[in-house]
Amino acid sequence: MDFDIILQAIINGLLTGSYYGLAALGLTLIFGVIKVINFAHGSLLMVGMFTAYWIVKLTGWNPYAALLVVVPLLFLFGYGLQGFLIKPVLIAQRDVREPTEVIIVTTGVWYILDNLALMLFGAEYRVVQTSVSGQIFMLGDYIFPKPQLYGFIITAATSFLLVWFLKYTKMGKAIRAASLDRDAASLMGINQYRVYNIAFGIGAAIAGIVGCVLIPFYYVFPTVGVVFDVKCFIIVVLGGLGSIPGALVGGAIIGLIESIFAQFIASTWTELIVYVVFLAVLFIRPAGLFGEKRDW
Amino acid sequence: MKRVFRHTLKGVVVFGLSVLLVLSAGQASKAAGPKEIKIGNILPLSGPSASVGLQNKQAVELATEKINAAGGIKSLGGAKLVNVFTDSKGDPNVGVTAAEQLINTEKVVLISGAWNSAVTYPSTQVAERYQVPYVVPVSVADKITERGFKYTFRIAAKDSWWTDYQFKFLEEQKKLTGTKIETMAFVYENGDWGTGMAKQWHERAKKFGYKVVLDEAYPSTASDLTPVVMKIKTKKPDVILLTSNAADAILLTNTMATMKVKAKAIIGTGGGHADPAFRKNTGKNCEYMFDVVEWETDLGRPQIPALNAEFKKRYGYDLAGESVDAFASVYVIADALERAKSTDPKKIRDALAATKLCVGQGKLGIDILSYDCIEFDKTGQNKHAGIVLVQFRDVKGTMERVTVFPTKVARPGFKAVFPMP
Repeated sequence: MDFDIILQAIINGLLTGSYYGLAALGLTLIFGVIKVINFAHGSLLMVGMFTAYWIVKLTGWNPYAALLVVVPLLFLFGYGLQGFLIKPVLIAQRDVREPTEVIIVTTGVWYILDNLALMLFGAEYRVVQTSVSGQIFMLGDYIFPKPQLYGFIITAATSFLLVWFLKYTKMGKAIRAASLDRDAASLMGINQYRVYNIAFGIGAAIAGIVGCVLIPFYYVFPTVGVVFDVKCFIIVVLGGLGSIPGALVGGAIIGLIESIFAQFIASTWTELIVYVVFLAVLFIRPAGLFGEKRDW
Repeated sequence: MKRVFRHTLKGVVVFGLSVLLVLSAGQASKAAGPKEIKIGNILPLSGPSASVGLQNKQAVELATEKINAAGGIKSLGGAKLVNVFTDSKGDPNVGVTAAEQLINTEKVVLISGAWNSAVTYPSTQVAERYQVPYVVPVSVADKITERGFKYTFRIAAKDSWWTDYQFKFLEEQKKLTGTKIETMAFVYENGDWGTGMAKQWHERAKKFGYKVVLDEAYPSTASDLTPVVMKIKTKKPDVILLTSNAADAILLTNTMATMKVKAKAIIGTGGGHADPAFRKNTGKNCEYMFDVVEWETDLGRPQIPALNAEFKKRYGYDLAGESVDAFASVYVIADALERAKSTDPKKIRDALAATKLCVGQGKLGIDILSYDCIEFDKTGQNKHAGIVLVQFRDVKGTMERVTVFPTKVARPGFKAVFPMP
């Protein structure tokens, strides 16, 4: 096994890991703020992918130009979903430490969205040819598939913007305050439900970004979310619930494991390695790599 | 008054019964020279395989109509074939009951079916017990004709023959083009189907002396297959054999194109590669790849276009490999009845065992096959049944599956592009 191959495997792993991380980012944000595991996250990804798919398919735009439409649309979708569906349940369970009913609501949303997509678009796999599909960028002998490379850049930009937003804007500060202690934040005059709506909207908008990143090289179908769901959960728990760097590093770790180990063992077995690493991390650092030991 | 009424009633009943008797006597006298021969058909007409079951039924009906219109079974005084269809729901238990019912209640002389291997397997056992011949047009599981049964006859190729044809094709191309093929990569989905195929590939590779440089099972639901493709690229195999479902076939093909993986031949095993979504979603990337299939509409047989047009006009879709097997099966049955000159199941069985129907004998159902003859070996397996190889080719701007092997049934004007450019 020569060095070139390992280096190419590392490149692929990092590129793949970047969109895994991006997919997990929305999930970790929503959990960090609302303290709710959003089981509909995969379906939000699916909605993001279908929205991006139809925009590119119907208008022939560059998939990254579609971001301009997909991101606001998905933000509104997430905002509405939280405001109309999840909020009433959250209010009803105000005094409950762990609002489990909300988890059931998000599971319901997952089923409804997936089946609506099945009804509207059918079960078939769809791929749209974009201007970047199948394009590569060569650096010496190393191959960088352009869609994945752009995905990497978009992931970096998105994370940077998100961190900046949370650190320096008033709304960002409110979101952080609500995530630290929702009752104290309410006492300081923060409308916690509005904060939740916005956090959920941002989470959905990130799912929309993932949709735009994925469609140049991945296919869309109604249950595509399930493919990424389990991965996202592992990444979020591995990195630390609610942690943004945790999601990105977790994504990179999973991507690298899948890519590098597959060069030595059958790729069916890389899943095993992923779970072993996952369990080992939980054993040594139960809060995840970047998680803080905090009583939610 | 009451008494009178009862008396009248008695009279009516007696009259009615006698009418029935006379009528049935008439029936009996009609049946003396058999005008109708009942054939039992077990097919999945509801449940998950209903759509293919229906296509089989339509093919059987169309073939029966043609045979009856041409004068039926001449050695039995022009008797007409009559199909009795029963729904197996794709369920082995229902299939077994259906076979019992067809034999005992409907008194059919022969059974045909049952599409699902899982239904064919136990229902042929019922027919064997009653010594009623059972013609199997399509169920592919090897073991169906490997139990020493005397009354089971299968027209379609066995499951294991698919891999046979992949290797036959390679052997032929090696000779024809002088291409050197030494190494192989097996890449397959990690389910029952994929691992089963891989096992057969290993046996054949050993037999033909190929070196297996990569044996890679992958999960069909993978979100990224770049690692698998990287491995293929590193091992540089001459030939890549694939067994994939639809989604992974698409992802694998597109990723291979991105990572510039080249091989002398990439051969699929039906399934995902046969799905129209595969061609649509890979576009140019699948050009020159190969796939195996039992039949294609573009085979170089002159009778296919007209029959396919008739089928499509009536039912709305093209003939498929399985409907062709079902169509041919009716001709095999009719031919056996013709030679048996009897509706005695034992005599029909002996006639079936002696079947030798070949292309060019003026039998439409046989003339559209991808191979030359139907002849059963002593296990009841059609020993000539064949598979064809198609190559994905750009035909005037659209990606089509073009039959290229066996050469004698290749689409006119086409031959395999080998090695892949």
